[in-house]
Amino acid sequence: MSASNRIKPVALIASGLVWVIITPWVVADMKSLDDSALANISGQSGLTMELELGLTADRLSYFDDGKGIHLEGFRVGSAIDSSGQAFHLVRVDIEEDASLNLDYLVEDRRIEFGDIRLAGAPGVSMGGVFFDHSLAGYLNISQGGSVGGGGYTFDSAYTMTGGRLGYRTNGNEVFLDDITMNVEALGITLDVVGDTLALNAPRITGDWAVGAIRYSSNPLNHGVSVDSGTGQPLPSYGSLSGSYDLSSNTGITAGGRSGEGLRIDNETVIHSASFLYKDDGKALALRDITGAYRINDLRLDVAPDWQNRPALALTLGSMDGQFNIGAIEMGGNGQSIGEVNVSFLLEDQVFNGRNYSNAIYLQGGGHPDAGPQGLRLATKWSLRLADFSYTEDGNRVIFSGLQSWGQGDVTVNVTRDGVINGTEFFDGLRIGFENIRAGYRINGLRVGSEDAPLQGGTELLLALGFYPAYEFELDGHMTLGAGGASGEGITINSDVRIRDGKAAIIAVPYDEGNGEVPQKGLWITELDYDSHVRDMTVDVTQEGLAIIKGEAWSTMDIGNLRVGDKESGRSFGRFVVQKYETGSSMTVVPGGAGDVCAGGMGDSPSACADSGGVWETRGEEGLTVRLKQVFAKAAGESRKNALTWETNRQTNGVGEAMNGTGTHLVLNDIHTSDGGDFDGDGVDDNSFGVRTDLSVDVYQTRVVKKAGGPDAMGVVGNRGDEKIMDGSSAAGYRYVANPTLLETENRPLGFAVKARSQFKELSINNIDLVHPVGGAQTAVYGVKMQNFDIKANLTATPIP
Amino acid sequence: MIAMLHRTSLALIVLLLPLPTLAELSRLGDEALSGISGQGGIYLSGDISINELGGPVENSYFGRCDDADKKCGARFAYRLKENGGWMVLDDIRGNFAFEGLTLRVRKVDSGFGGDGELFNRDVLELGLPNTVRFNDVQFKISASSTARPTDPGFQQTDIFSVDMRGEVVMEGNLLVFPAGNP
Repeated sequence: MSASNRIKPVALIASGLVWVIITPWVVADMKSLDDSALANISGQSGLTMELELGLTADRLSYFDDGKGIHLEGFRVGSAIDSSGQAFHLVRVDIEEDASLNLDYLVEDRRIEFGDIRLAGAPGVSMGGVFFDHSLAGYLNISQGGSVGGGGYTFDSAYTMTGGRLGYRTNGNEVFLDDITMNVEALGITLDVVGDTLALNAPRITGDWAVGAIRYSSNPLNHGVSVDSGTGQPLPSYGSLSGSYDLSSNTGITAGGRSGEGLRIDNETVIHSASFLYKDDGKALALRDITGAYRINDLRLDVAPDWQNRPALALTLGSMDGQFNIGAIEMGGNGQSIGEVNVSFLLEDQVFNGRNYSNAIYLQGGGHPDAGPQGLRLATKWSLRLADFSYTEDGNRVIFSGLQSWGQGDVTVNVTRDGVINGTEFFDGLRIGFENIRAGYRINGLRVGSEDAPLQGGTELLLALGFYPAYEFELDGHMTLGAGGASGEGITINSDVRIRDGKAAIIAVPYDEGNGEVPQKGLWITELDYDSHVRDMTVDVTQEGLAIIKGEAWSTMDIGNLRVGDKESGRSFGRFVVQKYETGSSMTVVPGGAGDVCAGGMGDSPSACADSGGVWETRGEEGLTVRLKQVFAKAAGESRKNALTWETNRQTNGVGEAMNGTGTHLVLNDIHTSDGGDFDGDGVDDNSFGVRTDLSVDVYQTRVVKKAGGPDAMGVVGNRGDEKIMDGSSAAGYRYVANPTLLETENRPLGFAVKARSQFKELSINNIDLVHPVGGAQTAVYGVKMQNFDIKANLTATPIP
Repeated sequence: MIAMLHRTSLALIVLLLPLPTLAELSRLGDEALSGISGQGGIYLSGDISINELGGPVENSYFGRCDDADKKCGARFAYRLKENGGWMVLDDIRGNFAFEGLTLRVRKVDSGFGGDGELFNRDVLELGLPNTVRFNDVQFKISASSTARPTDPGFQQTDIFSVDMRGEVVMEGNLLVFPAGNP
């Protein structure tokens, strides 16, 4: 035996052991051993190693072109006892086919880093990570990869129990608790192809569950499910579970974006997957997930960001893929809202004359007032193109040509209630935004198929705060606390400020097929939006997904409402919308409008037809959003509901209108009420609010030609003729004077929104006219609207 | 002053012009059409109803529409004088149905007897449906002593009632655009 041949088994065992230790980090899933596999292993003679492992290192460092990242406080040992050791039992066998088999058992192991620092960034760090688990499984390594004898083939399966994966900053923790998973990955090959390490996983299958996602603000707790002080279980955001079946090819090459580093290329196909979030047993489930994605030229470097701050840099060449979620179920009955499909391409692109790419620069620190530990992700993104489609009852609407771009810092801290250096923090995982300049736009909707003409329709979703295009500068935070309105769930506190915003209320396509053009529309520009939310809970309930706002107040200062171009379009003036809501809520419920009499009145097909309407059975799927907005009476100038319109402003030296110098029309102190003081507390009850139900479906509708002659697509018809879809016609449709029953089944599909808005009482305290010199004059001494119930059935189709 | 008059007259022309004229404005040649996959905007079909069966308030004044002793419509009250009486649109209810209400942003830079070229601006175009069907649209105009009909000392005088049903022809486009100093 030559020297090199003698070394090979030793190298194999060593690499196998390393694999056993690092397996949970590298491979996502595993599977328990079956009896026959175990019998085979026990029948072999081999080597058994029993190990009580306790390993600590003050610092592990990685250097890239002389720049270092340091993992501090590294420890492998017992999860239960911080000074204890983890039990390892490894049985090593050489199989008859000369493969090496490692049968392993790991109990009560914790792997953790107390902190992660970057050289050149003193005083700040990324915080600590810990991973607890017990493992039972095997790893079989045989000679020969996928392209010849030079590589290796791995078969692996394992079961993990008692898992915990946590992140800790400044004594506060968020962690996945009680993780279990089963993974099987057979026939994984590792080869050296040229200068690339090629890892091919033809099939990885598994399932997993997270018993709870817990939060702790007690510095004495570290990776425990129960608070050390109170003995009570730590609050939970809910539980997770899922399964998957995927294939993957990964290439790893030396060399970063500059100098040393790592390049990763990957192609993954998801054959099937599911994902469930459960809140007190009620599930939000994504089922029948399939898809594929391709990562091209992802580089890992220790390199500074665009502001020359030391960072661990992840920079992406491009990524593309598509995902299909066969059903999104929510609520106690497991009813589906429909199917969702997303295709995307992340790639460098120029937006508004500026080049955007995809990169994350990981840094230490987080929010500067939250303490020295935290994450700062200096982020750039460039979503060059995405299509998002929603299918319900077999009908499809596509939000076509979605693009997004942005640059700025996202900070992540685990925080607890309190004010530090003037910054208010809340219990939970704090996602901060600093100087983010970003935007998105969609080209339009396409209803039915990808080659359907572009149309509007998002205008019907304005009540949900959806704008078809939006550019902004963003600062603020959203803190996700554990626990909902009751039991598990999420509590959100947020303070967000948008500056220099430009949002479209109505937008024309940015590309109608002849290349990009300035997107025209009705724009709110020079927007300054200040929004605060307190104690907003998010829960999955029997009905669906319930979001309840404790208290919310905001000011939307629209410098100009422009028609046409967002920069140069002429302005209707300035609008200021102040909102103050208490106890408002939003519930997302599966199922659309159901049976509808569109264009008429009546609750049966015959009564509907008699009134001139069309009876529509819009099916089981679809989506209904129930909004309740309780507009509170004014509690000071900053917390009230008011609408101000200002015009005739003076201009500054560069011709910009100066806010506050013009004439104002003020609708002051707008508020809802139940119409009296029924509980005798001296103030009017205010719990009904303005209730709006929006049901969204994709359904056929009646489209009538408005004028004789050819339409915009050149199709000829008479005024009053109906548009009937017909694949045999050149334009895909024709006009029919009196459609037969068969022809009415081919009416065009539209984006159908059924809305119902009702309120008991809505009041405006006073309407004032304010002159910049003369002051305020009250024009209307009170408006009171009572007993409104407004319903609208509107279906949007392209303009023929 | 002349400019203002010009703007006003153009706006009036735009409002009053019948649809065929505007359709001609936006008619495109075949070459242009071949590259266009759509033109944005929306064509809306449907209906809007107010208090079809009644509103959410149930008290001594408001009730469901099958209760002859109560009013089931909506009520809108305002007052122009401090401590004065209230003008009221009361018992508002009804249903409108239409096909072909269009909404889009477009540029007017031609037509209108040459005025369009001078105008050369973007407008918000609300294309009126040719026919709107009214089903029992009704309201009353009244004067009332209190905002709420349930307030103490409530007195109300109904001045006149309006009831509309049948088809109303609404043709042309409503063009909305900014004018004056913003």
